[in-house]
Amino acid sequence: MCFKNLPIEFDAQGKAFLKEGTANPYSTAVAEPPGIPKQLDPEKIKELVKRNGHVKDVDFDPVTRVAGALAFHTVTDVKERKVLEARSVATLFRGYEVIMIGRDPRDAIYITSRACGVCGGVHSTCSALAIEMAIGCQPPPLGVLVRNLALSLEFLYDNPLHLHLLAGPDYSEVIVKGTNPGMIEKAKVTEAAHAHLHGYRTMHDLMVDLNPLSGGLYLEALHMTRVAREAYVLICGKYPHPQTIVPGGMSSTITLSVMNEMFVRLSQFFDYGKKIAGIWEDLTNFFYEYDPQYKRVGARRANIIDTGIFDDPDSYDTLYKNANEWGNRRWCTPGAIVDGKLATTDLHKINMGVEEFIEHSYYDEWTGSGQKQHFPTDPAGNPMSPYHPWNKVTKPKPGAQSWKEKYTWDTAPRWDRLSMEAGCYGRLWSTAVAQKMPDNPFIQSTGHSLKIRLPKGKLPETEIEWKVPDVWNAFERNRARAYCVGWTAMIAMNTWMACMNRLKDGDTKTSTKFEIPKRGEQMGVGFWGAGRGYLTHHLVLDRGAVSNYQIVTPSTWNASPTDKWGQPGPYEEAVMNTPLLEESTDPKDFRGIDILRAIRSFDPCMPCTTHIQSEAGMITREVNTCACGLDE
Amino acid sequence: MRTDGVRTVIGGVGYRNLRDHSFGIVMSDELEPLAELPHLLIEDLCYGPVAVGQWLLDEALVAPITRAVFVSAVGREDGRAPGTIVAYRWDGVLPSDEEIQRAVTDAVTGVILLDNTLIVTAWMGALPPDTFVVEVEPIEHAFGDEMSPAVAAAYPVAKELVMRLATDETASGALPTMPLGGGWTATAVWRVAR
Repeated sequence: MCFKNLPIEFDAQGKAFLKEGTANPYSTAVAEPPGIPKQLDPEKIKELVKRNGHVKDVDFDPVTRVAGALAFHTVTDVKERKVLEARSVATLFRGYEVIMIGRDPRDAIYITSRACGVCGGVHSTCSALAIEMAIGCQPPPLGVLVRNLALSLEFLYDNPLHLHLLAGPDYSEVIVKGTNPGMIEKAKVTEAAHAHLHGYRTMHDLMVDLNPLSGGLYLEALHMTRVAREAYVLICGKYPHPQTIVPGGMSSTITLSVMNEMFVRLSQFFDYGKKIAGIWEDLTNFFYEYDPQYKRVGARRANIIDTGIFDDPDSYDTLYKNANEWGNRRWCTPGAIVDGKLATTDLHKINMGVEEFIEHSYYDEWTGSGQKQHFPTDPAGNPMSPYHPWNKVTKPKPGAQSWKEKYTWDTAPRWDRLSMEAGCYGRLWSTAVAQKMPDNPFIQSTGHSLKIRLPKGKLPETEIEWKVPDVWNAFERNRARAYCVGWTAMIAMNTWMACMNRLKDGDTKTSTKFEIPKRGEQMGVGFWGAGRGYLTHHLVLDRGAVSNYQIVTPSTWNASPTDKWGQPGPYEEAVMNTPLLEESTDPKDFRGIDILRAIRSFDPCMPCTTHIQSEAGMITREVNTCACGLDE
Repeated sequence: MRTDGVRTVIGGVGYRNLRDHSFGIVMSDELEPLAELPHLLIEDLCYGPVAVGQWLLDEALVAPITRAVFVSAVGREDGRAPGTIVAYRWDGVLPSDEEIQRAVTDAVTGVILLDNTLIVTAWMGALPPDTFVVEVEPIEHAFGDEMSPAVAAAYPVAKELVMRLATDETASGALPTMPLGGGWTATAVWRVAR
């Protein structure tokens, strides 16, 4: 049984249908999904703040060391050391959905790339996939492979950047000595178990090198972003906004020289993948040993969603009706994980379970009496909610901020009406459990772990193994992300070898010609992934122009607000579960480090979630204050 | 042609197709043919400040860079009129570590702004001792390739200034040393120096 909350059932052949006898099957006026966590009523919170001096508003505006504009509101009981209320606030309107209306679909490749200054390539690719599906244009095998290679290189920029420039400082000597001085003393006498991989004898040595600006790991990450970027531009022309991604493949010219130059750079991630996994193994275990309560920092149900990524060139045919087949042949298996169990790897089920709600977002409803649902089913005949992205209409409605009413520009995506999170660890988890990845010499999915064999560099050949964790929290997110570095490098290596084999056979074709149909209506969706996980672009074409375009990014899921049923979004839930473990006794010294660790462990990327256009024009610098006055 | 060991970078910072905010890149594009002169490097610096720093450090290995002139549109919103040109020698004083961290975060996550580029590249030790800034106050932020009348009028003046700063020792010597943003006096000093 895939869906527990949506009224979708399956016949003996696995065909989905709506449960019979339900008058309004997707009504939101139904009981809340069972077992969900809930926010306290804002009135009750107000009363608690009024009556108790130790219950205080603690706001982070902006949350620093994240990409873009994120504010976070909490109500914290400083005596009990817990968070009573958490509200995630995306402070700017994104607007790509509005900008895209009426345009030639090919514009999406270049325009939506600007949704992010880190991972423009994934947006370009996702839009290319959506167009390919809509117009039925299949790329040649080398085009699929080169696309895989390009995006894996983008992730090798993204994940180390987060680990050692954005999140890493939270675990550094300079931060920890201010919040938990006792831990520093312990770190000085604790040997690092993976010193043979990262070279740090004690945990203190390691934490010193995590120090921002001066630490060796911080500076090394800056250097490694260059290595990945250089490899990426060999095939994409420039970074972060590629010039060579097209519907039907890639416009790059791939030669042996390009491949060799790329390998020189890619191979530097073999040792870095070992090192970074060892570092985050040691950090995680050290914090757990110091205080097991750290397992509660950023903890939430392991509800994670991912569309999978990196296509098999022999399976990918662009067709929605075959999405389950080609989706399950990807290097990274799609998956919806509910309470730590893999509910499905089927892209149709993942897609049909998605809805976006706006009860606490600055948007107007697009459903309602008298409004006809545009698509009652997807192109394969599966039932589809009126709240599904293919049916959604973006209607911005700025207003005053109220925790009870509307407080963010992010929507609340839900799958099977559950609050799901997204991250590169989603694809890691699905792939480890599903055992569907292609046979290859470097990576093995065991059903409970993923084994990655990293070739010899300066360090000897090493097998690292990420195991599905027993708990899900801030530390496990970072630990999993660290394994993603080596894993992505070996996906890239497999792909690099496949490209070389094609080239050896004289196959240099990287793209297929296409024409945009000028008649009729077509639907397409790009199921892809960002460095931060899940990414979809849903597209509707009408007589050759875009009539609807909807983007759901990882941070759309993660930063989402509380929904109609009181179910908090992932950041909110993770923060509400976070114990405040910093050792300060004076409230004036309170830094909220555990709250920040919880938020940053998701790798927030707010430019993808919210952007950019006001009546005064383009905003070229994110602002830190509420953008309630902004409109399209 | 300069033969005295001076090697100057002229870099345009900003975004393409963003009207006034493309001021810097329009200028570096236009000056690009001058890059054939051995002492001049004309560079589109409309990319990540960390990558800009890495490029400057690489170039310095080829031959030391002795001077840099950055040109950009920057909305200071301090009351100066659109089209106002402010030019100064940057004093190179870095903000607090917290602010530098913020600049690095912005840099690696895609923000391209003159101040950020200067802070990050200076923190990386990539800037030459003589770093000059020519900035213009923009007004138009929309998509497009046409500058506002005020900024378009300032463009030829700024271009001449940039070239003189890159090639004329006396012009650069007349400019005040200022913190980021320069302030009003810098422009006044430039006008006197002309």
